[in-house]
Amino acid sequence: MAIAVAVMGAFLVIVGQLWYLQVLEGGHFLDASDKNRIRIRPVAAPRGILFDKNGVPLVDNRPAFTLSLIPRELPREDQNRDAVLGRVASLLQIPYQELAESVTRVPSDSFLPVRVRRGLTLEDMAKIEEWKLELPGVIVEVEPQRTYPNSRFAAHLLGYVREASDEQLKGGRYRRGDMVGQSGLERLLDEFLRGRDGGERIEVDALGRPVRVVQHTDPHPGSQVITTIDRRVQEAAEQAMEGKAGAIVVMDPRSGDIRALVSTPAFEIDRFTATIDRAAWLRVVQDPDHPLLNRAIQSQYAPGSIFKIVVTAAGLQEATIAPMDRVYCNGEFHLGAWTFKDWKEGGHGSVDLQKALAQSCNIFYYQAGLKIGGAAITKYARAFGFGTATGVELGGEKLGLIPQPKGRRKSWQGGDIVNMSIGQGQVLVTPLQVARFMAAVANGGVLWKPRLVERIERPDRGVLYSDPGQVAGHVELSPAVWAFLRQALWAVVNDGTGIGAKIPGIDIAGKTGTAQMVSHSKAEKGQDHAWFAAFAPVRDPEVVVVVLVERGGKGGQVAAPIARRILNAIFFEKVAVAEIRG
Amino acid sequence: MIGIDRRLLQNVDWPLLGGTCGLVVLSAITLSTLHVGRAGGTVVLRQLGWFGVGLIAMVIVASIDYKKLVRIAPGMYVLGLAGLVGVFALGRSVSGARRWIVLGPLSVQPAELFKLAFLLTVVWLLVSRWAQPITPGVLALLAPVAAVPFVLIVKQPDLGTALLLMPLLLVLLVGAGVRVRLLAGLGLAGLAAAPIAWFALKEYQRERIMVFLDPFRDPLGSAYNVIQAKIAIGSGQLLGKGVAGATQSRLAFLPERHTDFIFAVFAEMWGFVGCLVLLACYVLLLLRGFDIAATARDPVGRLVALGATSLVAAQVLINVGMVVGLLPVVGIPLPLMSYGGSSMLVSMMALGLLLSVRMRQFQ
Repeated sequence: MAIAVAVMGAFLVIVGQLWYLQVLEGGHFLDASDKNRIRIRPVAAPRGILFDKNGVPLVDNRPAFTLSLIPRELPREDQNRDAVLGRVASLLQIPYQELAESVTRVPSDSFLPVRVRRGLTLEDMAKIEEWKLELPGVIVEVEPQRTYPNSRFAAHLLGYVREASDEQLKGGRYRRGDMVGQSGLERLLDEFLRGRDGGERIEVDALGRPVRVVQHTDPHPGSQVITTIDRRVQEAAEQAMEGKAGAIVVMDPRSGDIRALVSTPAFEIDRFTATIDRAAWLRVVQDPDHPLLNRAIQSQYAPGSIFKIVVTAAGLQEATIAPMDRVYCNGEFHLGAWTFKDWKEGGHGSVDLQKALAQSCNIFYYQAGLKIGGAAITKYARAFGFGTATGVELGGEKLGLIPQPKGRRKSWQGGDIVNMSIGQGQVLVTPLQVARFMAAVANGGVLWKPRLVERIERPDRGVLYSDPGQVAGHVELSPAVWAFLRQALWAVVNDGTGIGAKIPGIDIAGKTGTAQMVSHSKAEKGQDHAWFAAFAPVRDPEVVVVVLVERGGKGGQVAAPIARRILNAIFFEKVAVAEIRG
Repeated sequence: MIGIDRRLLQNVDWPLLGGTCGLVVLSAITLSTLHVGRAGGTVVLRQLGWFGVGLIAMVIVASIDYKKLVRIAPGMYVLGLAGLVGVFALGRSVSGARRWIVLGPLSVQPAELFKLAFLLTVVWLLVSRWAQPITPGVLALLAPVAAVPFVLIVKQPDLGTALLLMPLLLVLLVGAGVRVRLLAGLGLAGLAAAPIAWFALKEYQRERIMVFLDPFRDPLGSAYNVIQAKIAIGSGQLLGKGVAGATQSRLAFLPERHTDFIFAVFAEMWGFVGCLVLLACYVLLLLRGFDIAATARDPVGRLVALGATSLVAAQVLINVGMVVGLLPVVGIPLPLMSYGGSSMLVSMMALGLLLSVRMRQFQ
């Protein structure tokens, strides 16, 4: 009966193996069986919404389809995997290379979906679903995605949202495939807007088909941001600027709130949010008009005649000029061997200070500037915030430039002062600096730090952050000087170069500017930058509008009518609202 | 031919039948928890149906004197060979293997039924007067008797069933009193043939042996079954996960879970303790079988009982050994547990042979 003994011995060996597997190593295998059946599906948190000051959304989210690959569920043999990826590539017209690369960047046994392409159309999704059985490891996820009122709406202000770049991934704060604000407010407030992703633990069978949800963690939506923007004004400003390159800033002089911030040409913000192909990207980056540049804060221009306001304020406060000073303008001014011309052939005749500002007489200001002196002019220019950052919380702000006296003795040269007196020469400003300056003129000297974000609220309505507004400085001028400036700037619009901005029924004050290009040749005639800076109503200013049109021509002819359209939109609508309430 | 007198009924081996019924109940419970393919919940009903058919077959076999069966064994052998050849002509192909012949609503595996014919034929040869004592010449005559069906079955391909013929032959030789020296020579010849056999194997069969030696060599390919089975068994731990918690089995991570790998399903659900109960049923069955062989009234009965017991024992040991990772994966069903009509029928008929020997113990 040796056979029976041998058989029983074999049974003992088997029992021994079972003891080893089930009792000694059982815990280890239990873990393995859990891992086997559990898949983790991240559920993206909806990004926080940015609202305008009236609670109207500036951006919104809509469900979008995203093509994802799950490395673990793709076929393991190179040949079969290539076939699956190849099929996806041909179905959706995606370069095969793009798919293959995105999978090689993660471990091949990862359960986490790798997002390959966002913004799939409904047809794309239908194609994938149709082939589903032949495409193991290929899924279509639904994610919330940004949607904008129109393709270029407030592109520079809001900024675009894109997948975290390799650089950002290195910081360790983002996971691959996370959507991150890359510019504008989206980047500034990314921490608040992004929320926290939720996830699902799903029990799946051997083919990866979901059987049930084991655990579901709701995503925490991002916080809501109430900006200072007025969507209506922003839209009006964008419409008014259509077809032109330049910038518009609309600011509330009572608080420093930015109501609109426009830079044109703008990029197509919605295309940047989805997957943008290489060609489209290069087209934007290499565009000679630099659509990615936020001209309101990142471009510097000579202020032109707008700077005459600074010169006027300096002269009056320092008592080096007086309102009743008169100059006879014949169109030319001689300084040593140099001849400086007025913009108007033949000159303005006899002008006093107010008329000189209203008509933007250069000859008057050449002489006034020399009387006031370079030191005083630059002192007041700095006091009005030129040459320093406004502190607006958008990246890449330029400082502008207020010149220093040159040479070993640090003394001002007459020619430099003459040029500076009409806002030419070395003086450089940004449109936002001009807006802040104009707000200070309007409100009697308060220099605001521009405010973009009023408050940030949690989805459950708790206020996370609120900005009460911040005063960056005060410009001390006597009340008589403020009064004179207001009166003279009113005259600009009502009886001067800014007549193009006049709206019956509203008292508007403003100043035109025409910034000559430095290399001034015949071919570039009419290539001057057109400025117009205004505030209204004069008596109790509520709004400052600054318009810059690059290579637009004369400020009075080009920029002032644009400002008029914006002011019209602001006040006409406001009157209508008041009547309804009334 | 079929006639059972009362004396025979007195000697029915009730523990043997009890162990059998216990196993079939465990099989039915396990199968009823699995939803397999299109058959769905009907798997368990069909298995019980086959059990019924098997019971009838067992009674028929038991009622016939085993000596008569051994006498007609050569005829069955020839019929069986015809069936094995017929598979190549008429066979139905399932996942690359031609193992089935379709007869109306049923499909039969000739190789399964052939095992019994082979058993009886070898007994017939060994008890023939000219075969005593067993000389190398007798072995030489036996060689083609075993080799021809072996090759035919390997070619189906069904390596597991073919390999099963070898221990069966070996046990019968030992039982017939073959000399140890001859056996050793046979073993050496087998070892010498091993490299040749290696090259005769199909690529996937070689891969299975490699995977047995190193399961993590290809965790989602050939080794998938082995690893998933180990995970299923191990995660059952001492007391098992119960029916609802047996995720490995119910979520279909286990391949072949209702047939060859049913032991893993059982182990996951009922744990180490459950496995001991299951194995105890087999041990009971097999000990009864060896006892029947030991107490048989004549050498024919002894060899028939020994062969039938060994046939079941080899299948149980190879199947469980493979599922728990002690042996390479070869397709062998677990007798009485695995779903499958032919396997059930053959197991029941083997038990019928045992009963037949037992009942005629005192004649």
